Amino acid sequence: MIGEYFSGLAHDIEGKLAAEPGAASARKIFALEVARLGVRLYSPGRPVAWCGVLAPFDLLNAVGVTSCFAEFVGAMLAGMGAASAPLEGAEQAGYAADTCAYHRAVVGAAMQGMMPVPDFLVATTTPCTGGLAAIENLARLFRRDLLVLQIPRAETEAGVRFLAGQLERLARFAAGRAGAQLDPQCVAAAVDLSNVTRALMVEIYDLARRVPSPVSNRDLANFGIVVPLLMGTQAGVDVARATRDELAARARDGKSGVPGERFRLLWVQNRIQFPNPLLRLLEDEYRAVIVVDELNDVTWEPIDPADPFPGMARRAIGLPLNGPAERRVARLRQLATEYRVDGIIQPCHWGCRQGTGIRGLVQRGFQELGIPVLNLEVDCIDARSFSEGQLRTRLEAFLELIAGRPRVRA
Amino acid sequence: MVRGMTDRALVGFACAYTPLPLLDAAGFVPWRILPVGDAPDQAGHLLHDNLCPHVKRILDRAMAADLPPLAGIVFMSSCDAMRRLPDAWRVARPHDRLALVDLPVSTADDAVEYFAAELRALAGTLAEWHGSPVPDERLVEAMRRYDGLAASAAELRARLARAELPGGAAALQAALNDVTTGGWEAASRGWLAGPDPLRVLDRRPSASFAAGEETVDSRLSTLNALPVSGVPVFVFGNVLPDPEAFALFESCGARVVADDLCTGARVLASLAPAADADPYVRLARGLLGRSPCARTIDPAHPGRAATLVLDAARACGARGVVAHVAKFCDPYLARLPAIREALRDAGLPLLVLEGDCTRRSLGQQRTRIEAFVEMLERR
Repeated sequence: MIGEYFSGLAHDIEGKLAAEPGAASARKIFALEVARLGVRLYSPGRPVAWCGVLAPFDLLNAVGVTSCFAEFVGAMLAGMGAASAPLEGAEQAGYAADTCAYHRAVVGAAMQGMMPVPDFLVATTTPCTGGLAAIENLARLFRRDLLVLQIPRAETEAGVRFLAGQLERLARFAAGRAGAQLDPQCVAAAVDLSNVTRALMVEIYDLARRVPSPVSNRDLANFGIVVPLLMGTQAGVDVARATRDELAARARDGKSGVPGERFRLLWVQNRIQFPNPLLRLLEDEYRAVIVVDELNDVTWEPIDPADPFPGMARRAIGLPLNGPAERRVARLRQLATEYRVDGIIQPCHWGCRQGTGIRGLVQRGFQELGIPVLNLEVDCIDARSFSEGQLRTRLEAFLELIAGRPRVRA
Repeated sequence: MVRGMTDRALVGFACAYTPLPLLDAAGFVPWRILPVGDAPDQAGHLLHDNLCPHVKRILDRAMAADLPPLAGIVFMSSCDAMRRLPDAWRVARPHDRLALVDLPVSTADDAVEYFAAELRALAGTLAEWHGSPVPDERLVEAMRRYDGLAASAAELRARLARAELPGGAAALQAALNDVTTGGWEAASRGWLAGPDPLRVLDRRPSASFAAGEETVDSRLSTLNALPVSGVPVFVFGNVLPDPEAFALFESCGARVVADDLCTGARVLASLAPAADADPYVRLARGLLGRSPCARTIDPAHPGRAATLVLDAARACGARGVVAHVAKFCDPYLARLPAIREALRDAGLPLLVLEGDCTRRSLGQQRTRIEAFVEMLERR
């Protein structure tokens, strides 16, 4: 089902772009490359690896392995409105409803034959314990080799060395699975492309900071979490460049993403993945724009193509979702200040011990800045528990609260 | 100082992977912060409701100052919830000294080496707290002392399995709690290692602050009155520190013959002998190589947690298995389906109990436990 969905989506977009090349919006190009990735995942040919969120996708792309974090499937199922069956399947098999629905959906999808059997799996210890367990469960269900990347909590010399060594072993293993030896030149070329994509992402986020912001609530939804899947490829560069160019043109023309921008918001962690009217409500009724998502961020330095593993290790270790909450809260506060936001929306994804776990600490961090926080109790994947009326009421009350406050943004 | 039992400062800990010999070698007495007592529920102000109650109860105790004076607290980054604990603690008690030790999830050689580096860094932190360095030879001696304790605990477990331990699993749990909540020094001086290891319980008042004025003597006399017969069961999971919980199992007709709990068998488990010359590498390998919490995985054997539970249950001759899992504990909740499948295939019945670390939550399960035991008796 998912494979056909991706094929159909890619075919439709390619058809539209062929018929009307001028209509190639950045978001359409993004969607096309995501669909093509989906087609590769669901087609025989290149080796496939299901991974944890912090796997080095540029490295895996460099050695000829199609790779993706497993949560992607949960998000796609939710986006298609098709997550209920795998969620129920997982629950009937004994996976507790108290756990993260991204992982329950993925395990359910695997049990129901909705996920391609991978050649191997790569678990990552960050961002969450649940994700690590989900990949282990997939490896058990698929009976495939499991590699684990243990991501240290702090960027110590020993920690970087530990992870860099694991990455090098992963590269050799993955290259072997692709039927080749590790070629440092291929890796260097992929790292070059990653660095170009990274630089474009920095430009994109710089543009989004402008007042008014050229982004709408959909332009950069899931951007920072999905683009890493395309890192190390020309497709990644193309998506980032198209996005940069489109936002730059809007900024040059003085166009804002949400006409009459009134409120600027920061969205913490993941978006709600199933169709819902909240973004439309924000834009149409309140002219509120999500100018920054927590995950739309560049927190790593360019990587040395000649010695890529330590740089990739630092990239993973330095992610704010890794390490102590105070580092993450500090980064969120920095984003809020740089983007001059009026309020924070924190969807407390049910079952997430990583992000939702520190809800109170995030709220406290913003209280000190005088920026209000809306904690939305919501499951970002499982629409069965979605209560539109309740969330709408809370969102409206929050925006009215912001409207009644003096602006703190400088 | 805890009620006249030690003149050494206490260092708090909350995870079975904590390197207790290193704390001892640094001049401190390890003091386990158990999720017990009546501290009011305040942790929800800092941590989400759907987070592990073990962690939240510990934070409740910290926020209510229901702790003895601690020279510092050592946390292990064992799982998301345990990582959130120091995050919240820093806000709740900003003046406390905290150390967070990174804990690998596997026993690969490079993971052992990295963990050893983390332990060396912890030794530096402990030396700062104490004001004196931790010589290698003192660590070696502390590990030797620890293994003596572990051998005593193993002997107690063997007696439990043979139904020769007065008071059964409840008495054993009480002993473990006492050793890790202030009785460390006394136990490691040999009280626990004598001909009757349980006599440590008769010597002194309870070290547990939560126990208030209750003495171990009175508790033990109650526990001794309980039968140590019944259907043999194996209990596994995360935290179950309350001796009364084991008394409940036994009052329902079950006899706990062995456990794999982070407040039980994993507390004083032996550090496997290793040939490493570096004591930190030896300690790291020993800690990672013990019976693992579900958060520790073996990449070569995905789903190994299920095999381990099955093997342990068979080894102790259990006729049934009880999983006691704190609510919202991802490492265990995620592995339960595989464990259930393995036990079903082996014909071993499983009872899953979810708890919130209160005695009340387990008491509510009495009917289920009784029904489970009746079912085992009929088989």
